[in-house]
Amino acid sequence: MTEPLIVCDSIEFSYQAPSQEAIRVLRGVSLSVSPGEHVAIIGPNGSGKSTLARHLNALLRPQAGVVRVQGMDTRDPAHTRAIRETVGMVFQRPDSQIVATIVEEDVAFGPENLGLSREELRDRVREALETVGMWAARARPPHLLSAGQQQRVAIAGVLAMRPACVVLDEATSLLDPQGRAEIGRVVAEMRRRGTAIVSITHRMSEAAAADRIIVLDAGTVRIEGTPREVFARADLLHEIGLDLPPVTSLALRLRRQIPGFPAGLLTIDELVEAVSSRAGPPATGPRRPGEASPPIPPAERAFTDDAVIRVEDLWHTYMSGTPFAQVALRGVTLDVRPGEIVGIIGQTGSGKSTLIQYMNGLLRPLKGRVVVGDVDLGRRDVDVQMIRQMVGVAFQDPEDQIFEPLVGDDVAYGPRQLGLSLEELRARVRWAMEAVGLSFDGFKDRYAFTLSGGELRKAALAGVLALRPRVLVLDEPTSGLDPGSRADLRERIRDLQAREGLTLVLVSHDMDEVARLSDRVSVLDEGRVVTSGAARAVFADTPRLAALGLAPPEATLACQRLRSRGYPVPPDVLTIEEAGDILGALLRQAS
Amino acid sequence: MNEFEFLRNITIGQYLPTGSYLHRMDPRAKITAAVLVVAAMTFTPTYLGNACLLVTCLVIIALGRIPFGYALGGLVPAIPFVAVLAVLQLLFFGRALDPTSPVLFQWGWIVVTVAVVRLVMVSAARFVELVLVTSVFTLSTRTTELTHAIEDLLRPIERLLRPVWRVRLAHELALVVTIAIRFVPTLFLEAERLMKAQASRGGRWGGRGWRLVARTRQMLPLLVPLFTFALRRGEELIVAMEARAYTGGAGRITYAVLPGTAADWLAPVAALLFLGVMLRTPFPF
Repeated sequence: MTEPLIVCDSIEFSYQAPSQEAIRVLRGVSLSVSPGEHVAIIGPNGSGKSTLARHLNALLRPQAGVVRVQGMDTRDPAHTRAIRETVGMVFQRPDSQIVATIVEEDVAFGPENLGLSREELRDRVREALETVGMWAARARPPHLLSAGQQQRVAIAGVLAMRPACVVLDEATSLLDPQGRAEIGRVVAEMRRRGTAIVSITHRMSEAAAADRIIVLDAGTVRIEGTPREVFARADLLHEIGLDLPPVTSLALRLRRQIPGFPAGLLTIDELVEAVSSRAGPPATGPRRPGEASPPIPPAERAFTDDAVIRVEDLWHTYMSGTPFAQVALRGVTLDVRPGEIVGIIGQTGSGKSTLIQYMNGLLRPLKGRVVVGDVDLGRRDVDVQMIRQMVGVAFQDPEDQIFEPLVGDDVAYGPRQLGLSLEELRARVRWAMEAVGLSFDGFKDRYAFTLSGGELRKAALAGVLALRPRVLVLDEPTSGLDPGSRADLRERIRDLQAREGLTLVLVSHDMDEVARLSDRVSVLDEGRVVTSGAARAVFADTPRLAALGLAPPEATLACQRLRSRGYPVPPDVLTIEEAGDILGALLRQAS
Repeated sequence: MNEFEFLRNITIGQYLPTGSYLHRMDPRAKITAAVLVVAAMTFTPTYLGNACLLVTCLVIIALGRIPFGYALGGLVPAIPFVAVLAVLQLLFFGRALDPTSPVLFQWGWIVVTVAVVRLVMVSAARFVELVLVTSVFTLSTRTTELTHAIEDLLRPIERLLRPVWRVRLAHELALVVTIAIRFVPTLFLEAERLMKAQASRGGRWGGRGWRLVARTRQMLPLLVPLFTFALRRGEELIVAMEARAYTGGAGRITYAVLPGTAADWLAPVAALLFLGVMLRTPFPF
């Protein structure tokens, strides 16, 4: 057996907050990473994943226990530099790792510290940028790149130091599906070149690609094994707030109905094979592609009379009138009807964020029309305050915008602007907090920084709800949360919509989320609505979605694969639950 | 109607790649030339001289292949400053500037002499010239080129100061400047994001009127999160730099090599000649 690259032996670490008792983050963690191995570390928010990662290259040093990197003890400062050359690290936020104002110079920043010759330095920068596929963009300023590209630059910056291991600390959690796919390809390329990878992630399907998974919970290793072994323990994972990859979860549902159905399936291929081998040959032959995944019907053009928000042929140009002008919207038309949930999907840069800023009058139409309620936002005398009260917008990562130290004060910011009486103000804040599932008495006097990620997100949403809007626009409401908090928040959103009769506009990269929640879906591409319609119809056209750079839900893909083989499976399955019922019935019939 | 787009009318600090002669020039030569041209502007007090300088500015804009409309658009935000400056000069200089100068206009204690008018006109012209030259300079120079050039030009001073301070002045200054510039767009975008988020929650950004007190009070909820944001980013950056084995300059070599051909140094030589001519020419008025 080869010598392990990194060994952690029962390490412990606590944070000492002022005037509070120490928080024990790591409670005796032992693990090892072999050369060339891909290890995924998963765990709920606050389980100590990032703290553990920072021990791997001596950014933190264990208070008890030992970490050795190629035999070097991280507690010895003489080794620090050698350790950081051996184990590179990529962080969550792409734009706070970038030092220079040009891509290639940023990549050179690490090796510049190593005292190489200039030729060697150039070779390394080139090799690193080629590995991540960014050589062509070497002379560009990083702030003009997409988040996925920035993250690839950050990885190149680490690779240029020729590390034996790269640690990715939630490096994909802020990226869109395309950015995640890019990083996935880079990870595969790094492995091919023999670099070991430790990836910390909230995405179970990403962890499924690793050789080994380590599950961390409350500072201890709960499960360790191959993805198949780990994901076979669904109950334990659920108990600690984690999830299964969608395919594995579907397989588990089938296993519950069909005894002997294999558990721990990881890919769509495996699932399709397992189902076909048990269902026997299909009654009809394979179908033509068009039948398996029916094309999306043309976008609806007609407006209903009672639409809450109507957008007609809306155009928007950033920095207009300068050489930096950039067209973001090119004639967008859509409407939002009372009480429904409208999903808006599209790649980064397709115009989603620009569009939602028109919905509450942050941007005002110069070309095209936006009507909210019965107010035309193009008119000069519009009461913007009234519009913003009617349409509440929660931007991405709303917890970054909390500015009052106490949760209750922050939620009260909106209603306070309305000049309500103290009584009313209190009632509003109470209602808003309870609506998102934070108890008013328990949380109003808590310091914002003591809340968990999921709680903080809810508090931020409560701040928008406190205006009592009729329409709620949510931009990526669950991104960056662990699976447990994500499911919980989704439940709250659904509940809120049903109970309060709220109209919802949901902008998300998470296709599964949009499929689950939305009544209707509009797909944006390069500033145009390329298609819109009932969620079921839009998601059934998987080839079209893939061509637009969007990843259709895995349940839909699996069912369509079976359908194309000739099995009587509908093409427009949306959720895992639905797929479980349909495939279960198919298999029972066969046996 | 866009209350939140900050970067639109500011030409200083943007880079506009047109691939012109000025863009390709060695930044060290360009800085030297720019300093000399600015000196010529500072030391020319005559009408005719400033007319020459304005024409020179237009030539420089053309050399950089910057669209004239865009370069002149950068003057718009400067108009109030020029106007206020002119009014102050007209009101308060009076006879103090040059007692022998003939009086053009007098009303109570306000005295306007020929010398004052000249001062007003020349100051305005200078302001315009400076804005134009700095705009062209930043529009044609990448920030990295700028910082590397500063690092290079400072190196002799560093060598002088080395025994006294024992810091790598040139390198550290260049790194500080690079990081500061690198985070300017980030901070702007974050400020914009915060203002929009607060406006969405009923905060009264934008709208009409100049309610100064109300506006100032609204800065507070903006500044607190912006400050924590900057601190958090700073901390993340430090960790990321440490993780990339940065230990503060010693033993570093630089990746960037400045282009520097002999032809580039023609520009500062020309600028020096220009300065000499401007200083020595006896402009009649």
